[in-house]
Formats: sequence, structure tokens, C-alpha cells
Amino acid sequence: MSTAPASSPSTLSKVEQAKAELCGLELAPRLEDLGRQGWEALDEATLTIRLKWLGIFFRPVTPGRFMLRLRLPNGVITAEQLAVLAEAVDRCGEHGSADITTRQNIQLRGLLLEDMAPLLAELERVGLTSRQSGHDNPRNITGNPLAGIDPEELIDTRPLVASIQTALLGPAGPRNLPRKFNVAVGGAPDSFLLHNDLAFLPAHHNGELGFTVMVGGFFSAQRNALAIPLGLWLPAAQLPGFTLAVLRHFERAGNRQQRNKSRLMYLVDQLGLEDYRQAVLATWAELAAELGCEQAGDPATAAAHDGSHLVNRAPRDGLGVQPQMQAGQSWVGLHVPMGRLDAEGMAELARLARTYGSGELRLTEAQNALIVNVPTEHLEALLAEPLLQRFRPDPSPLQAEAVSCTGNAYCSFALMPTKGTAQAVLEELERRVELPHAVRMHWTGCPNACGQPYMGQIGLMGAKARKDGEMVEAAKIYLGGAMDAEPKLAELHHKGVPLSDLADVLEQLLVERFGARRLPSPSVF
Amino acid sequence: MIPLAEAPPGPAELPSGGDPGRWPFLQRLRRLPHLDPEPWLRAIESGALQPEADLLAVLAEHWSADAPLRLLRWWAAQPAPDPQLPLLVGIRRNPALADWLLAQLPADPLQQLGRPPELLAAQLSLLGHQRDARAWPLLRTWVQAPIPASLRRAALEGLALGLPVWPRAALRRCLRMLAADLDPQLAATAVDLLTRLPGCRRQLVPLSRRALEPAVAGRLQRRLAATPVQPLLLVVHGRSGGELPSELLSLAVELEQRRGAPVRLQALSASAPPDGEPLLAAGLPLTLVPLLVLPGGHVRQDVPAIAAHWRRRTRVQRQPFLGAWPCWQQALRSELQTLAGAAEPGQGPPLLLHHPLAGALAQRYLALLEQVTGGRTLATPYSAPDCDGPTLSFTAPALPLVLAANRLTDRLAGTVPGGTVGVPLLQRPALRAVLLDALEALP
Repeated sequence: MSTAPASSPSTLSKVEQAKAELCGLELAPRLEDLGRQGWEALDEATLTIRLKWLGIFFRPVTPGRFMLRLRLPNGVITAEQLAVLAEAVDRCGEHGSADITTRQNIQLRGLLLEDMAPLLAELERVGLTSRQSGHDNPRNITGNPLAGIDPEELIDTRPLVASIQTALLGPAGPRNLPRKFNVAVGGAPDSFLLHNDLAFLPAHHNGELGFTVMVGGFFSAQRNALAIPLGLWLPAAQLPGFTLAVLRHFERAGNRQQRNKSRLMYLVDQLGLEDYRQAVLATWAELAAELGCEQAGDPATAAAHDGSHLVNRAPRDGLGVQPQMQAGQSWVGLHVPMGRLDAEGMAELARLARTYGSGELRLTEAQNALIVNVPTEHLEALLAEPLLQRFRPDPSPLQAEAVSCTGNAYCSFALMPTKGTAQAVLEELERRVELPHAVRMHWTGCPNACGQPYMGQIGLMGAKARKDGEMVEAAKIYLGGAMDAEPKLAELHHKGVPLSDLADVLEQLLVERFGARRLPSPSVF
Repeated sequence: MIPLAEAPPGPAELPSGGDPGRWPFLQRLRRLPHLDPEPWLRAIESGALQPEADLLAVLAEHWSADAPLRLLRWWAAQPAPDPQLPLLVGIRRNPALADWLLAQLPADPLQQLGRPPELLAAQLSLLGHQRDARAWPLLRTWVQAPIPASLRRAALEGLALGLPVWPRAALRRCLRMLAADLDPQLAATAVDLLTRLPGCRRQLVPLSRRALEPAVAGRLQRRLAATPVQPLLLVVHGRSGGELPSELLSLAVELEQRRGAPVRLQALSASAPPDGEPLLAAGLPLTLVPLLVLPGGHVRQDVPAIAAHWRRRTRVQRQPFLGAWPCWQQALRSELQTLAGAAEPGQGPPLLLHHPLAGALAQRYLALLEQVTGGRTLATPYSAPDCDGPTLSFTAPALPLVLAANRLTDRLAGTVPGGTVGVPLLQRPALRAVLLDALEALP
């Protein structure tokens, strides 16, 4: 589905021009040659835009050392796949690292462009892809990280997420969206997904379990919105076809003139919810006529719906030893501080999953990792592994759900070293207070809000502030984000606390608003 | 808000660091389809504007070709240049920029130790980005020089960033040497870079036999473990009816163990090729090695036919025949030198007894072999019509130029006084070890 933008070439932005001239997917057969030429020989559009169709990101802060973002549908990864990624990172030496992202995904850092062609071939060998994982593409599709093992599961999201990805990456899928697009499928009562452009939440209709459709959620520097009900209910089998239709419509009708007003919610606003729904249904019918119901689904199965659903509480952290729906088996949720991994940690995680579990891991939106299908008799040995001192199953209530963007180590626009600051401040707070329950803190380096600060009970955003006459690195503080039955975006509480004062200010907030108790100061001799 | 619909904003309008308006200003600047960088350059050069990273990241998308060099010249003239700046502005390939960097970094690093190392390090990395082959001697010198580790590492990062353009053989030698460096970080990076070069097993396997720092050795083992090992087909002469001599059978068994991948023998004298299933199962290309020591008819006609047979079933990477391998020729030379050392005074150079060969190519090969090994080649008939002659006698120690027992060695055993002619080559431990090492390192 490669639809030409409606605008004439002369009115297209430079991003739209680059996309219209050449789809980044066309670079795949030339990747080895591009590596030989070197990235310095690439034109700007290829370097910073088109390569992202292959998941390859030029990083201005580490020029020559690229990032590769994968696709891990539903956050599922095997030990064999993780070991391949560990090897790729290990080869990068001091430059190599990886992040678990807030979309249950992994991105690798420190790679040379020459590494990409052989690495992509190796990824394909083990069943992984990085295709269309960046820029104006449908991003990694998220699902219930506990799918298939969750005692509270409403529906297993794995096959649904996989089939949506197959549809989107297939010949009928989008190649030139006006903007990025996030899709998610909920499968449990804690599947909070309203930050996605398109979210399918479990819902009943006439006694049948299916999904109600939510549209338009996103965070940006200009606007933040939670998804709203589209007023449609779908049987599970219709999700891939319907998603294709939403994206085909977005590809045709989305705003290509103003990138800061091009996310789906702006289109919904422009058309009005009712007209938008009708337009999507018409596109779906057209798609079904074109591709057949087997590939595009059956629009006649869609039903009007009031948007009520079965998601009614904030996401579980999934950490620690938790019994699975399968008797005699557990998952062990491990806290990965700030989602940052190194080669050794990745290789060890893979080994532990192979040795004690079924060789499968899950990644969560809170940037943590779960080893699944661990028989009861293996638990003791697994919990005694040295890696679990680093990736703890029982982190502090502050660490458990801390989420962070990359920060200025890898991003030109981050206003603070997000991961390092977050880790240092959290460790300091652990020394000062104890909490009766977890507090979800989301850290992000700039207004682009990649760390989703508006979803945190406490959200922090990089900023600058004046202290003692000097401009210093600082953090805005947001409070009140909720992902439960009454979802709410966090609101600005403080416009800039110098980082050197941040622990003091947060300590006070934790005591006043989250029931924290101050710990006695360490004795001084 | 910036009135972007009107005149493009100028440097004077840029909010200062810390101003909440700076971030959105820069984002909007970044999205402009066209921006004249000249006023911004002038503002930086005059000191009116600080070249901060966020601003440079935006301007970099609008630079003219000469802007980076201009900014770097300005940067180098500052009393306290910011070492971060070069990588923010000078990473695009530009011959003039490469010229400037080469002029800034003299070939002898010891002359530059008075300059701040972080500035030199920035320039070394930048030089790698330029991927200019002229930088090879300089970067190699810096990476090997007795200078602070940070500078050597920066030079190695420069080599990493320009990896495909350096002369391959010299680069491999340099990296092999660095892999044993006392700086473990440098050594580890060298191992990783060797892994990125084509046919890396040839470099990594020999390294694994050296005494490396434990962490580097561990890294090397991880690289080797992750490097695919192709199945190996050894084309050998064999004996009548396709019988395989024991020397070859034991070689294949040991080799398979060392490579961790299937190794099979195909005898030229056999009526059919070996079972292909083990060689094809992994879906990797097949490495085909003619274990033949002379460029006779088997090499010229039979081996291509065998390769064609396997190409119908899989991808085949064909290696040259064994006799052409420099490491094999050097091993023969060592063996002959040992023989010569033990010879009686007055005896001529050791002999290499070989199957009679026809054709100019074969004669050129024999001449080369004599030149390299210091031995003398001697055609030694052994086929039935020739076997009725008198007992053979040699005036110097002799080696049969065959890997394993065959009709030539049978004849020699029956007609030459004991002790004059050595055993087949694979029965000689040093030669066997060299061959095993070389075969182990193949892709």
C-alpha cells in the first residue's frame, strides 16, 4: 500500500519529499554497499530518514555509531534471539549497549554501518526483524507481556499482535505514513494502552469477547492526549484487517503539511469522530473488496459500541516470582535499571532463560524483563544466580516502575542525562525514605516526551533552571498521572528543579503525597 | 513563537540556554526547508553565539560544503577549544577537511604530546570519519606509538570508523599485533575489528593460540563462537577403489572436532561423492579444499567438475589447491631444512619426489617450489610400466610429495634402501600440525 501523498511536490516538507523520492525499504539490497561507502557519503535524507525504514538510526551525538531498533511483537523474545543481540552489542566494545524501550522493544547502540548488512541477515536467520521500526511507520505493536501465562488473562494477545504485524509488514501494509503510528492490543484487566494511536481493549458485545477500538492517544511537545472510544467493537480475528484499514486511511488523509499536527488525533479532530469512523469503515470495505475478506477481514463483523471495556486498573509491575496459569510454573520478573542492558547482561539473561525456563523472555513497557515458564523446582537455583543481584526480582518500590528515555548520552535534544540522573536520584531516595507501595516515575529528557512523563504518578522532564545565578540542568515535575479505571495525564507541578535539588524536592513530595516514611539518617561517627 | 512564515529567524533571536523558548525555537528552526547558515556561522566566529551542541545539531542539517572546515579552523584557533565540537560539525566527508586534519596531525605523534590529548583525540576520530586512505599510515603510527592510551584508542576508533578503506593486509597485521597489546581495551577492540573483516576466522583462529590477556581471550572465544563455520569438503587423491588412507581419515576426524562443523573427504578415485546431507544440513556455503599438492590434471579438470557437482546443491567457496598455499610451502621449507641439517656433508639439497607432471604450468610450479623450499624436485615414476627398473637410489635425503601412503610411497618403500626416503607428509607431525591449523581457520 504505497499511496502517493496528496500534496504537490512543491508544497511537501523536506521529510515528505525524501519519503516520496525513495522508500527506505529500497535500501535493503544496497545496505552492504552503503556500509562499504561509509555513512559520510550518504545524503542527509538517506542518513537521517530513509535508513529508519530498516530500523537503522543515525545518532548525531555518536556519529558513526548507529542504533538499530528491532520489532518484538508483544515483547516476546527467545534466548537464542537475545544471544544474537548480545553478540552484536559485545562486538561494539565500549560503544555497545542496548535499551529495553517503553514499547516492549529492544534497540541496540554502538553499531557501525558496516555491521548492519550481516546483522540484519543474522536477525532474519533467528526470526527477528528491524523493518519499519522508526520514523513514519507503524511502530512495535505491544500486547500483554504476560500473554499466555497470566492467571488474570482475558485473551492471549500474542497471536493477535503477530497477525497485525504480519499484515502491516506485508504487501498491503503502509510504506509512507504521514507520521509514526502506535498500535497496541490489551489482554488483561491492567492493559493500559490509551497512549497509543490505535488501541484494542478487551470488551464484550452480545456476550462475545472481542475488542473495543480506541483511537488518537499520543504524547508530544505540542499536545498530549489519551485515546478515545471510536464507537466500534470488533471480533478478535478482525484486528489485522481493521488495522490495515485505519492505516490506509491515515496514509491518505493524514496531515503532511505540518509534522507537529500530523498524529492521528489531529485527523480525528479535523473530521470529527463520527465522520472519521465512517471514513475508516468505508476504507475497510474498499480494502476487503480489493484484497478479499481472508486478508482484509470482514467489515460486516464490526458493531457499534459504547467504548466500555474490561481494563480497569493500572499495570502490574510483573516483578518477582509469580505463578503462571500453568500449574507448577512461574515467571520471574527482573528489574532492569532504566532498561539499560550491556552485552554481558543480555547473554546472561539468555542463559538463564535457557537453563531455568523454556528459553523465552518477555519485555514490559516498564522496561523490565521476565523469564517465563520456570518450573517450581528451578526457582531456587534461578534466584541464586549472580545476575539477579544486578537485575533484581525485588527492587525498591521506586525502582520497580521507573521508566526513562535515552537522555543526552545519545540524543541531541535531551536537556539532561536522563538515565544516569534517574538512577542516581532513585538510589538517593531509597536511602532516605521507605514507601508502602510502588510509585511510578517516568523520566524524559525533553518535551518530545519519549519517557512518557504524563503517565507517571511522578513525571520528570529535562529543563534548565537558574541556581545561584547560573543556568543549570533541571527537571520539570509533573504529578497525578493515572493508568487505572480513571486514566488521567499528569499535570505540571514544578517548572524546573535544579538537578542538585531534585532528591530533596522529590523526598518531600513522596512524604507528603505518597505516604513515604523518612528513614533515620545514618549514624555519623 | 518564531514568525517562521515570515523571514527566517536569525542568531539574535535564539533564546539563551535555560530559556524555555530555546527548545521549541530550535525544533522549528530544524524543520525549516531552507536556512542560510552564513549569519549563524558569522555569529559563532565573532563570539556573539556559543556553538552549543543543540544548536549545532540543528545547523548541521543546513551546512554548506565549506562550513564545517570553516568552523573547525575557528575552533582550532580558540584559546581553549571544546573537544566535543569537531564531532558535531566535521563528520561529513570532505577532501579539504581531510587535508586540514592530516596537516593538523603530524606523522610523528611524539611531537604533539604538548597539545591537550582530548583535542588530538577528537581530530583522530574525525580523521577516521573522512575515510581517506591517505590517513592510514598516520592512524597506524598513532595507534602503535608509545603515547597515552586515550590517544591510541582514539586512533583505533579512527581506524574503526574508516575500516573498509584501509589496505586490508596491513590492517590485519596491525590489528593482530594490537590484539596482544598490554592495554586490554585496545586489544579487545582490535579483536572486534578483526571480526568485522571478511574471512575473519583466518585471523581469529591463529590468535586463539596466542597468550592473550584473559578478558581479551574470552572476547575472542565469544567472537569465534558466533562466527559461522562452514562445512568442509576435502578433495583428496585416495587409493584404488576410493579407499581413504588412515592419515586422511584421522585428519578429517580431528579437524571436524576442532572446527565444530562437518568435514568430509571426497576421493578422486571414488565412484561417487560422499553423502551430502551432513554438509548441506546447516544451509551454509560449502568450503571445498583440494588437498592436492601438485597442479596436475586432478586440480585442473577433476576439481572443477567436483565443484560444479556441489554447486548444483549449495553455494560453494572453492579454495586453491594445497600446494599453492604459502603456509604449506613454508612448512615444506622448514621440513626440508630439518632434513638438510641432519644430512651427511657433501649431499645435495633435499629432494621432493613427485608424480611425473606434464605441461608448462606444472613446470613453473615446480620451479617455484624449489625456489621457496630450497629443495630439488624430482619426478619419480611409479606406475606399472616404470616399476621394473633398477632399485632407486638418491644422493640426498628425500621426501615423497604426497600427503598419505599411495603407489609412489609403496614403490619407494620397496625399492629404496631404508631411511633414505621419509614417510608421507601427513605422517610428519610438523606438517600435519600446520595443515590442521590452516584448515581449522578456513571459513
